Amino acid sequence: MKIRLRDLRLIDKPNDFFDLLIEDGYIRYKGPSSKFPKLNCDRTYDLKGNFVSAGWVDMRALCGEPGYEHKETIASLTETAKKGGFTHVCVMPNTKPVINQKSDLQYFIKKSQDTGVILHPLAAATIDTKGEDLSEMLDLHAHGAIAFSDGLHPVHNADRLLKILQYLSKFDGLLINHSHDPLLNLFGMMHEGEISTRLGLKGMPSLAEEVAIMRDLELLRYAGGKMHFTCISTARSVSLIKEAKKEGLNVTCDVAAYHLLLTDHDLMSFDTNYKVNPPLRTESDVKALIKGLKDGVIDAIVSNHQPVNVEGKDLEFDLADFGMINLQTVFSQLVALEKQVSLELLLKKISEEPRKILGLPIVNLLEGEMADLTIFDPTAIWRYDQNSNTSVSENSPFLGQELKGKVTGTVLGTKININ
Amino acid sequence: MQQLSTRHLLGIKDITAEDIQLIFETADNFKEVLNRPIKKVPSLRDITIANIFFENSTRTKLSFELAEKRLSADVVNFSSSNSSVKKGETLVDTVNNILSMKVDMVVMRHSSVGAPHYLSRKIQANIVNAGDGTHEHPTQALLDAFSIREKLGDVAGKKVAIIGDILHSRVALSNIFALQKLGAEVMVCGPITLIPKYITSLGVRVEHDVRKALAWCDVANILRIQLERQQIKYFPSLREYSLYYGINKKLLSQLDKEIVIMHPGPINRGVELNSDVADGPHSIILNQVENGVAIRMAVLYLLASVK
Repeated sequence: MKIRLRDLRLIDKPNDFFDLLIEDGYIRYKGPSSKFPKLNCDRTYDLKGNFVSAGWVDMRALCGEPGYEHKETIASLTETAKKGGFTHVCVMPNTKPVINQKSDLQYFIKKSQDTGVILHPLAAATIDTKGEDLSEMLDLHAHGAIAFSDGLHPVHNADRLLKILQYLSKFDGLLINHSHDPLLNLFGMMHEGEISTRLGLKGMPSLAEEVAIMRDLELLRYAGGKMHFTCISTARSVSLIKEAKKEGLNVTCDVAAYHLLLTDHDLMSFDTNYKVNPPLRTESDVKALIKGLKDGVIDAIVSNHQPVNVEGKDLEFDLADFGMINLQTVFSQLVALEKQVSLELLLKKISEEPRKILGLPIVNLLEGEMADLTIFDPTAIWRYDQNSNTSVSENSPFLGQELKGKVTGTVLGTKININ
Repeated sequence: MQQLSTRHLLGIKDITAEDIQLIFETADNFKEVLNRPIKKVPSLRDITIANIFFENSTRTKLSFELAEKRLSADVVNFSSSNSSVKKGETLVDTVNNILSMKVDMVVMRHSSVGAPHYLSRKIQANIVNAGDGTHEHPTQALLDAFSIREKLGDVAGKKVAIIGDILHSRVALSNIFALQKLGAEVMVCGPITLIPKYITSLGVRVEHDVRKALAWCDVANILRIQLERQQIKYFPSLREYSLYYGINKKLLSQLDKEIVIMHPGPINRGVELNSDVADGPHSIILNQVENGVAIRMAVLYLLASVK
């Protein structure tokens, strides 16, 4: 099978147009149209100056299946990932059953085979993500767990966290922790600040995240090993991690794409689609997160895709579940940031950087490599609505909006997915 | 005829100072009506109002019902304190059921913050928020400000201290918004754990010493300690609270001026307020209750006439 992709370019070389020949899932030619090998291609796609990059990687998405298929299935998740330009997605372990054993890993790996997206199930660090007994990390690692995480929950017990870090350090395993103090956040609905005061909603103080990150960094210093802080959301969290990196601790972090755009002001109308965890913070936090991206303190950007069915969202504010679907809208969010951060850098945060953190092969778009690429148009406008949304759930405040920045397609091996 | 800027009363936050003045002027007229031998006017004849209370209430519900009946509205009541803990379809389904009986206005109390806002997106009827969780209780704030205006002539320029559990109080939040819109200065006073950390962003003063708060203010609005709304322990004991924050006659006699004492009720006598003050000459607590009916009549009447 020979596929020709015509008229592509790279984001850092916008004047340099080229074609790709993909044969049986591998890049066989990259160069100008005029020198394209004389052979018959099975299909040719004229991409009219679209950009191409290494396939994008999302480090944090929640799947409903197994257990919560009414929120998301593996089929809908992989479809949504492709629409969003992702060829690799790390799936949180908070399914039912929780990803505790090698058979749970296999379920994801098998069911996502041949979908054009590789799902990387994150294995639970503690049994059922309850924060108590350790999961069989050695065995899970041996059977394809790319990293360990309790997903939506932090590893709150300091002793357990210490032992997990020590245990993982023996095989250079990675712990991904959503650090926050659950007691300081207890009954919290949104960021604690002026807006929560005006709305009379119980706040989730920035302190709850920062206290936990401080503690976790100390435990990491003692235990060794490496830790990835996921979805950091406050200015102080950025500076804490900056210091830790400076000191040489083996630490990386990410931010949810929407945390770079939205603030607690968006909650004034009690729209539950903005009810997320970590909560939307303030303008100054957003500024610090963007600066952290530029400075390299924040390594990656994630979707933090969390599907919630309408019965769990269309409710009184305090009863509604946390979370926002986002796999399909990450790219438009990055395009919206283009004036503040170069798209080139932003794209690194969803391709090269997460690949490094997870130990996935780095893609350079060279001849001989397996095809793993995303094709996109940062200027195209598209409508995100019930028709174009491919998730089972609809919990996005962006639904019904015209968005700038469209994913044209992905290629993963022999799986060509071009609109 | 003048009109309100909104067709729902969801919170004081969402209305203007002009709206408040209009409500006060209308309430003046209704208060006069309430002192006539025949206290009923036909203003809301053919209007059906549902009072839906998902949280316990005695006086607010009674006050609304009386206001509705004095306006000749048809009234239906629904109370259920346990529905509120079940998941949300209860709210929408319950209200939809009631509305399919052709109800024009809904007066709702609910334990969830924003519940009336949520409802306003779902149904056509006018909505009056009779208290939503720890958010707002707009008619209480209106009747409180109206009572201050009645007692002191004007609200503008007055110093009002709100004393007690500010963190869990919808009365405090609505009062802050209303008093500020009318030009009063507001102070909140209570144990530090019962004062929201970012309350000063609303432009209020904060004081933790009740004597200083009393010395500063013209009006002290004493709030009920809401033990039922506290999900977490915020202070050590009611004994300690009443010793350090309870208002009694002795405290007031140490002041070199007379201040007005208010309480939204129901009073925990001997906890936040001693009987010698609640029933004393400084107290306008019963005037608040009386004004509540006139204010609620004004609100319902004005909302019904918004085109």
